[in-house]
Amino acid sequence: MANLIERQRYILDYTVSALLRRKGKNSSLLLVYTLIVFVLSSVIFFTHALKKEAELVLKDGPEIVVQRTMTGRNQPVPLAWAESIRKISGVMAVRPRLWGYVYDTLLKANFTLMVPAENQPEQGSIDVGSGVARAYGASTGDMIAFAGHDGEHRIFTVRNIIDSESQLLTSDLVLLSELDYRDFSGIAAGQASDLVLRVRNPKEYSTVAKKITRMYPDSRPIVRTEIQRTYDAVFSWRSGLIVLIFSASALAFVIFAWDKASGLSAEERREIGILKAVGWETSDVMLMKFWEGVAVSLTAFLAGTVLAYAHVFFASSALFMPVLKGWSTLYPSFRLTPFVDFGQVATLFLFSVVPYTITTVIPAWRAATIDPDAVMR
Amino acid sequence: MISAQNISKTFNAGKPNEFTALHGVSLDVHMLETTILKGPSGSGKTTLLGLLGGMARPTTGRIHIKDREITSLPERFLSEIRRSTFGFIFQHFNLIKGLTAIENVMIPAYPNGEKYAQLRKRALEIMATFNLEKRIDAKVEWLSGGEAQRVAIARALINNPTVIIADEPTAHLDTRLSHELMGIMSDLRAKGTTIIIASHDPIVCDSNIADRVVEMRDGQIVCHGNGP
Repeated sequence: MANLIERQRYILDYTVSALLRRKGKNSSLLLVYTLIVFVLSSVIFFTHALKKEAELVLKDGPEIVVQRTMTGRNQPVPLAWAESIRKISGVMAVRPRLWGYVYDTLLKANFTLMVPAENQPEQGSIDVGSGVARAYGASTGDMIAFAGHDGEHRIFTVRNIIDSESQLLTSDLVLLSELDYRDFSGIAAGQASDLVLRVRNPKEYSTVAKKITRMYPDSRPIVRTEIQRTYDAVFSWRSGLIVLIFSASALAFVIFAWDKASGLSAEERREIGILKAVGWETSDVMLMKFWEGVAVSLTAFLAGTVLAYAHVFFASSALFMPVLKGWSTLYPSFRLTPFVDFGQVATLFLFSVVPYTITTVIPAWRAATIDPDAVMR
Repeated sequence: MISAQNISKTFNAGKPNEFTALHGVSLDVHMLETTILKGPSGSGKTTLLGLLGGMARPTTGRIHIKDREITSLPERFLSEIRRSTFGFIFQHFNLIKGLTAIENVMIPAYPNGEKYAQLRKRALEIMATFNLEKRIDAKVEWLSGGEAQRVAIARALINNPTVIIADEPTAHLDTRLSHELMGIMSDLRAKGTTIIIASHDPIVCDSNIADRVVEMRDGQIVCHGNGP
């Protein structure tokens, strides 16, 4: 047993020295490999974290949102609708909401204004998300000015910085009182931005939605499951897995092709011949090459994954956030909550480390099974 | 005794470049003796040496080492026999570049899995007998021809082999170093090591260490004789 351990140690030592002897080739390979793993891991972490954020957004969201449209554009909803909709069987509660956006031309950022259902700030004060506070460099007690619908600036005092599980949900949020909002947005007293409904039975969502449409043809009821489907279409496990498998296959292919293209050099074949000639067994040579493959691919995998984690969760995916977020680039910057799907990471491991290790061992096995005198001739 | 019976070796069989290097060669190598395989380039000396040392298998015929037939042994056992029975000295030294002299010397013993301190001590002792103490940590590519050859010999001895196989060991050495090498071979012979050397160098073929000289030509043995 002690001999077996020593033997493994010798082979590991030899592997390390072999890697160091071919520093140039192995460093460039490690760099390319790490870069690919980094990109793939970043995509995986980013899409998964966004999906989880979306789940958080929808977790406590309303079952049905009723909007009013006119020729396809959103209009304020008359509060009178709330009364009649509440009488529809299965509807437990109807609540008018007041919310909208404000664009700051200096910061080039969009913020969401909202009147909370409970614990409204008193007139003249606001609660802000961490992104808003960061954008204005504001803390509790500071004042922030926003330009209202008439172009006049309203000054608010920051009452509180919102601390939430999801930054995506609250980062750009500004909570204010109903009176302030109506003054700021110009929305009339008998109107709301939309209505949110609580419905007892999830199976009745579509029935209730149809009844509302019949009652108010210019209404647009949006059911939570539809929103969920929309999010899923973008960030679901299916799309994530497809991206993952496709990308990982591409990675495996690139590594394989690169390795095949370079193959075993004459020097490496000669070295294997010498080792065999002086008494190494084929299994020793394969073990040495196996450790070589594992060392390169595992290092690249770990480095790429850790860098991707830091990139996505600490550097706000700086490299490709604008591409992936689309219109949301107007948001103030926010940090995604670290959610990692270990299944996807394991899949990436299987599709990257395993193929590379195999492609390292196979050429060595071929060289090692030839008579050593033939390899050395 | 190492016994080759009617062995032949064909390379690239069935291909346009098929070539038969040995034609039905039979040879007995007696233990504790020094056997010199002599002949011009292409006579089959290196091929015969490789077959006797278990580095390749004959196309036909049988090879026995101490009554054990090795031709049909699985690769694993053949490697074990190479490691425990033979020490190889190659024409081009075949040291592994980038490694130090002592690492090269120790490599054949790695699969044995003995303690590192013990192995290093033995390697140092062998290297000391060849005056290589000051070159143990030198990368082999920085060694002179004579030093490289002595490192190659030290490597051949690390597993205490009973048989040393040397292929054209003086091919890349000057006259002084060639004589020095033959002196080392003579010492090994005196310690009871069986030696098989393939060479066409007169310094080797005419040296007084040869117990038998086997002359080869065109893949066949043309003459057996006793040494000078």
